[in-house]
Parts: sequence; structure tokens; C-alpha cells
Amino acid sequence: MAADSFRDYLQLLVADDALVSFDEPVSWDLEASAITMLANRTDGEVPLFESVGATDSDAALVGDPYRGPRSRPWDRFAQSFGLSAGLSGAAYYDAIIDRLRSPCEPRLLEPERAPCKDVVHTGADVDLLSFPWPYVHRSDGGRYSNLHTIVAPDPETEWGRWSSHRMMIHDDALASLLFLAGEQVPNRYYYEYEPRGEPMPVAAVVGAEPAVQCSTEMWIPTGRSEAAFAGGLKDRPVDLVACETNDLSVPATAELVIEGHVLPNERLDEGPFGDYFGYMNGPRRSMPVFAVDAITHRAEPRVPFCVEGTGVGYGQNSSSTLQTAAAGPDATLGLQAAGFDVDAAVPWRFTSRTVWVIAMDRSYPGVLHELANFVFTTWGMLHIDFFVFVDSTVDAHDPRAVLTAIALNADPDTDFHQFGVERMPKVPLNIYQTPDEKGSADVGTSKAKTAKAYIDATSDRPLEDDAETESLRARAQQLLVDAGVSPEPFELLEQRQYGGGDRR
Amino acid sequence: MIPFAQYLRGLDGDDDLLTLAADELADIPPDIVAAEALRASGPAIRYDRADGVDLASGVFSGPDGMQRRDAQPWSRLALGLGLDPDGSFVSVLETIMGLGPAGQTDGPTYDTQAASRTVDSVQALGLPQGADDVWPALTLGMASIATADGTYWAPIHGFIVGDETFRVRTPAALAALLDGNETISIALGVPPAALMTAYLLAVTDHVAVPIQACGVADDVPLVPTNGGLVPSATEVVIETTVADHQPDFQSDRREAWEYCLESTPLALSVERVIATDEPVVPFSPVGRPLADDLQLTGVATAATLYHRVNNYWGISPVEWVLLPAEAELGICVVATDVLYAGFEWQLANILFTFSSLFDTIIIVDEDVAPTDLGRVLGDIWVKAHPSRDWIFSDASAPAAQRPRYRQDGQTGSRLYVNAAWDPRWEDSYIAPRVTFETSFPPAVREAARTAWRTRHDGDAAGGDHDRQ
Repeated sequence: MAADSFRDYLQLLVADDALVSFDEPVSWDLEASAITMLANRTDGEVPLFESVGATDSDAALVGDPYRGPRSRPWDRFAQSFGLSAGLSGAAYYDAIIDRLRSPCEPRLLEPERAPCKDVVHTGADVDLLSFPWPYVHRSDGGRYSNLHTIVAPDPETEWGRWSSHRMMIHDDALASLLFLAGEQVPNRYYYEYEPRGEPMPVAAVVGAEPAVQCSTEMWIPTGRSEAAFAGGLKDRPVDLVACETNDLSVPATAELVIEGHVLPNERLDEGPFGDYFGYMNGPRRSMPVFAVDAITHRAEPRVPFCVEGTGVGYGQNSSSTLQTAAAGPDATLGLQAAGFDVDAAVPWRFTSRTVWVIAMDRSYPGVLHELANFVFTTWGMLHIDFFVFVDSTVDAHDPRAVLTAIALNADPDTDFHQFGVERMPKVPLNIYQTPDEKGSADVGTSKAKTAKAYIDATSDRPLEDDAETESLRARAQQLLVDAGVSPEPFELLEQRQYGGGDRR
Repeated sequence: MIPFAQYLRGLDGDDDLLTLAADELADIPPDIVAAEALRASGPAIRYDRADGVDLASGVFSGPDGMQRRDAQPWSRLALGLGLDPDGSFVSVLETIMGLGPAGQTDGPTYDTQAASRTVDSVQALGLPQGADDVWPALTLGMASIATADGTYWAPIHGFIVGDETFRVRTPAALAALLDGNETISIALGVPPAALMTAYLLAVTDHVAVPIQACGVADDVPLVPTNGGLVPSATEVVIETTVADHQPDFQSDRREAWEYCLESTPLALSVERVIATDEPVVPFSPVGRPLADDLQLTGVATAATLYHRVNNYWGISPVEWVLLPAEAELGICVVATDVLYAGFEWQLANILFTFSSLFDTIIIVDEDVAPTDLGRVLGDIWVKAHPSRDWIFSDASAPAAQRPRYRQDGQTGSRLYVNAAWDPRWEDSYIAPRVTFETSFPPAVREAARTAWRTRHDGDAAGGDHDRQ
């Protein structure tokens, strides 16, 4: 069953016994987040909080709905796009890349056909605080929406630019947006709209369908739109609808849409927040102000949120899964399109934004440097600190195989390459710089610069053809599954089913 | 002391042993099956066979540390050493060290030999032939020789190359002890404590210490053989004589202990084979990920390093040392209290002094659990500054033994990654971790646990692994 809306996706979870409902009142004030953290830690079901205490809202909260199973984080997105569950990482990437090669333009619906217009609030009727935005960690600077799509204008595309920036709620009509210069939408604000003294129209789309959420995480080429790639992902058009108060179009099946504009030369406090590094980061800083003009939503909207900081180490959450399941295939395709003979570009499972693994053959001397240089100066500029290059014969989705390649192949003397030592920009979310080094630069990057590095963990020896061994391995895997071992870890068995086997 | 067969029953009782019948294997080589079970972090496997001895694989290895699991890579070994499999990693390390050279022992105890049945020939054992092997292979063996000063144990592995002929590799230090005595006993299916001792003596280059002077003698009852003393509970004993000290033996197969000390080939002639009534012996898929010999070498080395660094400064700042089999012993991880600025440099470099296995060390804070390799594999990238905390030595260090690079003797750099907080930083600089404990006040934690527990009766901790 493919999912054309967030509700479809939740139904898919229900069908998979992967969703657990809480009917009793649960507070947005840390409690929903605490339960979600337990779910994330145990690889448990996605929690749906039907009755959120301390609000008058009929909205429900959904904790980390896009978190995938630890063994195959991409599995639920695969099902959302009509692909089989149980694909190996490589097979999933191949299938997604195939879809991304065929973008599909969106379809514009009349407002009356758009579920996200079930209820429309504009002007004085707008009340951001009527929704149960969660207070996620007790040291956070405030309540957050952090699993949404920010839609912003882009003169190059009809459908605007989609991206993700956490949003701290301030009052009934104001929020602050974490805009870090270097990313496309913030750049447009800092270097075009704000210098002109012009507010930038934006919409925050909460509870969008899976294809939209995935394409939001992607770095789409200039002149192309995320909307078309979202259509490619699900192999049919994404339905959009015009906003009430500006010229933007937003996904029509979304649970909730917040329309507004980012004010020029205005700032509000933002942070600290426990973010994707798994640590609280600060200091509290000033960020651009999102002034709300309208809120539209479905009846009884489902509001997803992410417990950031739990997607590191062994943990998975929505953002780490989105990196693996969406950003990875997109980057693989992007690097291939840029002329690099890349087999796979996969976020490192244990800290998915900081380190990426690239499986490729060294087609010419210096190719690793060229690729690292390309990414560190473009989409990987702010967040990615490290690349690990492995041979194309190494499964980049298998962190043990990658760790082995680092341990055995990466010579500290010659294979660790530091880039632009103390000359590179960096997001202030990092924890290895002191507060003084992070500073409070106006455009959101750290005051002090940093370095990037890549590790050449490719082998210096010619690779052996192990087709015969692979055939034997597949037979051995089948033998073990037949004997009762769970099929989940076996990458050579196609179309594995969940729950098979009775051991581990 | 736990005999090997009893140990397997323990694994079975813990639902951690899968038994495969010979006909299920068809023509799939056992080492392939063993390796796939290990890759999948599956159970140990017993191969029930009508012809030859029963085999067991994965019994000294375990699930990998790449996911959060109830069992650890060393849990099976802990069970084999008579410890609580869910006990602390450090207790495993300390128990292993207790098996080695000891200042004073009570002296060995003796028992009757469990292996009392004579086997017609070594071929009749039906030792497994791997996918890449020409001959049946012997792995995870324990060699025993005797001199006037006592019995000496060491790991041994090799192939059965003729009706009654072995080509084996064993530590050169053991071969040097033969000194005219040409008899070696090979013990298969020894108690885990005995095999662990053989590995410990090898990786610490203490092969020349007699067993009578080791802690293992207090724990494992022994019995004499033509070679030397072996555990009385040994499943199979192969008594041999050295046919050739310098055989033409081209195999490049190496068990992992051979990265720690020099080994030498020997050709052995079989004199006698004795076995228990229903013998079962372990084997390792040598050279494949997470193989048993790799795990044994890693744990033995970790135990040694833990002991040495914590006995060096008069205090014990190091919480644990780990050489993950997942990194093929090419990386050493150490959790420590960083006593003062520069201590991390001192610690890393003393570890390089005490082991030549690795060129790369990761230092993490003392509160990181050895069961949380996932945190280590996150912290090295997010806590360590990409330029300031990845510290390379000058390029004059010899290459480590385990990695594949620089095997031509060229010198190069070593690396340590400091993923521990800098003791010079003010407390306010230290970013708190996002954990269940730090993110929520007690009342919220309790409410969340209660809510989660009501839907998950089996998870007594309410999913909060910090409490376990």
C-alpha cells in the first residue's frame, strides 16, 4: 500500500503493528517526548497521542513517525512508495534512485478538494498556541515544531523551495526559525530578502506525506523543484494547493499548514535545543522571526515531532532515518550526475549528518580529493565533517564492514586527509567548539572556522572476484533461516519478510 | 572450570545454540555457515554429524556490537569462563588475567581423562574443510608440550595433509621449547578457560611460562599425555611427534593470535588419537568477520592492556579497554578519566607501547559503557574536533601488525582520536548528552515508563536501558 498522505502512512504503520495509540491524556510538556524516547530506544512502535493534555485542541501528537526499524531504517519509506519491505540497503537505494531519475510534476488542486483546508484560520483568528507543540527536552529553549517542511519562494521553480529548519514557538503568532547561512532558503532570506527590507513569504507544512518529507531532506539541483522529485518518489504527482495569504503552494494532504513571512531585520531567541548530535547545543542565539498570517489544517490534525538527539549511536529517530532513507539515495544520484563513479553515498548510522560513507572505485588519482572538495563546498558544507571512502565491493550500508575497512586500510600516515584546517564554516550546533568559538554571528554559522576531513579506507590491493563465495553465502543464509534464524540481517536473501524465524 | 561439552549445553539452555544436522548442510562448507551466523549475530551452532566428531562454531565469538542487543560479543565467553554472561566486561577481563602467569598457585589438580576411546585415524575425526581449503582444517586447537620445567600451552592450527600427517602453525616460542623433545599433544574441545589461557599466553608472549605457574592450573583439572598436560575434560587429544621443523608449508591462513607474536610451521606425525564417547570440538571460520579466533585474541589483548595501564600510574583511571572484533583488532578503544591535560596523549602512547596490533586508538569519556560501541562510533565524529582532536604522531613509527597497509616495513604515523572532554574546559562548555535521565525530570520519567510499560508488559525497565 502506497501512502499519499500522512494519514495513509499512519494506517500503514497500523497494518504493520508498528503504531501504538495512547488514548489517555498525555502532556505536550515533556511527557509525549519522554514516551517517544522510550519507543525510540527500544525500536518499539511509533506512539500516537490521541489526547494531548493541557490544550483545548483536537490535535494529536505523533512521536517520531518516520523512525525506521534499526535493522533496515528505510523499510517503511519503501512501503510508503509501493516498494517491497525487506529490501537490502543497496536494493532500496537502487529503487529510489530509479524513481528520482523520473521526476513527476505536481498537480494543483482546488482549495475545496484539499484536506489541509478543512479548517482555515486567518488574521486575528490565528492562534499558534492552540496546537500542542511539544516541549521536547527539559533544557530546550522552548516548544518546537521540528518535523515539517518549510516552503519558500524560489524564482527558479514554479513550486518554490522545500527545506527543513526547526521552529521555536514564541506566542500565538510568532516563532523563530533556525536559519543557517549556507543553506538555500536561509541564504535567500539573509542575502536577498533582508537586504531589500522585504519579508520573505514562507509556509510551514506539518504532517506532509512521506514523499514530501523525504524530498525536503534532499539537495535538489538548481532550477528543479522538490515537488517534482517527491512525485518521482511515489511515481505519481504530489497534490498541491495554493496558500490562503501568499503565492506559495503547499502539499494538499498535509495535516497542518502555517502560512506567514519571515520578517526582515527582526530576531527572536532560538535554542538551546537537544539536536541531532545527541547533545544539548547552545548557546541561545537570535534567529529570524516567522510571523504567522494563517493556519489551515485537517480535522483533528496529527502533528508529528522528532525527539532529536535520540538518532545517534544505536538509536534511530525520524531525522536519522530520513538521512539514511532520503538524503543518501539523493546524494548518490547527485554525485553520479556530477560525474563521480559512486556506488553508494550512505550516512554513517551512528551520527548520520556528520559522517558519510562513499563506496566507489578510485577511477583516477585524486578522485577522492575532488569528490570531498565538491561536497564540502556545496551541500555538505555546514553539517558534514567527514567522509569515509571504501571500495565499491564494501557494503556501505553495513557499518561493520565500513569499520573494518577503516581499521585495516586507512593508514594514519597517508589516508587521513584534513581539509582547510581551521578555515571551513561550521554550524553552531556542534559541540566541539567552545561557546566563544561559536559566537553569535548574524547569519547563524559559528564565529570560529573549523576543518573537514576525509578518510581513504579503500584497499591498495586488487579486489578478488568472490561470486562463488557469495553464492555459497546465500545458500548458508537460507539454511540458517530455514533452521529458525531471523532473516532480517541477511542481505543476500531477497524480499525478506518481517518476523520470520524465532531466534534474534 | 566448565568442560566444553557442558558449556555447549549451557549455551543451548540459554537458547543461544542452534543445532544443525549433517544432512541440512548439504555441500555448504561449515566455515561459510559459521561465518554467516556470526555476521547475522545469530546463535552459536552445533553441527550434529554421523561421521566424525560434532563441530561447534561461534562459541567464542558472539553478536556484534553494531546494534544495541541484550547479549554482548563476549557474553558467551563469559559463560564459558563460569561468569554471569550479563556481568560486567571488566569482570571478564580480570578473570582472563587471573588465568595467566601468577605469583603463586596451589599447583595443578588431576582427574581422569574424559577422552578414553581410541580413534582409528585422524581422518576419522572428519575435521571441517573450508570453502577455500584443500585439506581438512584444524582450528582453535591447543598445543601442549612438556619439559623438565613443566607443561606449556599455546594455540595451534593447521591442516590434515595426509592419512596421519598435519601441517600446523604454532608460536615459534613453543617450537623453541621442544629442545629435542619431539612430542606435541593437540587438544581439541578443551574447557574455555584453557583455550583462553593459551591465547592469553600467546598474545602476551608468555608461551614459555609453564602452566603449573599460571592461574589456570588452579581452575582446570589436568591429565598427562604424551605431549604435556592437557585438561582432563578435553574432547579429543591428538598425540603427535614433530616430523619436520621446517616443512614447505605455503598456506597463508593465520589465526588472529599470529598478529601478536611470531609463529612457525611444523609437520607433525600422528601417533594416537583419543576422544570422548560423543566428541564435539570447536572451529573458527578463520579470516572471516567476527571469527572466534579474532574475538579470543581481542579479548585477551584487551585484558592485558587493561591490566597493564591500570597498574602503571599507581591509580586506575582506565575504565575499560576494548579491541572490537568488528574492527578486526585494528582499532583500540579506551574509556578513561582524563586525569589532566595531556593525559590522553600519555595513555594513547603507552597503549601503542604495550601492543603492536593497532595504529589507531579512540579515547572516550569514562562514563561510556563498553556495551555501547554505538556511542563510541558516534562520539569520535561529533565530540572530537576534526583537526584538533585527531592527533597524528610523526611519521617514524613502525606499522602495526593487524592493518593491511605498510607491510613493507616502512615507518609512518600513529593516530589517536580524543573523543573525551578536555579537562581544561569550563563545565559550562560541556554539552550535556540527550538521555532519558537528563532530558526529563523524575516525575515525567516515571509517568512515561508507566505509560510505556502498560503496553509492553515484557519490558520491565520500560525501555529505559540506562536503568538496566
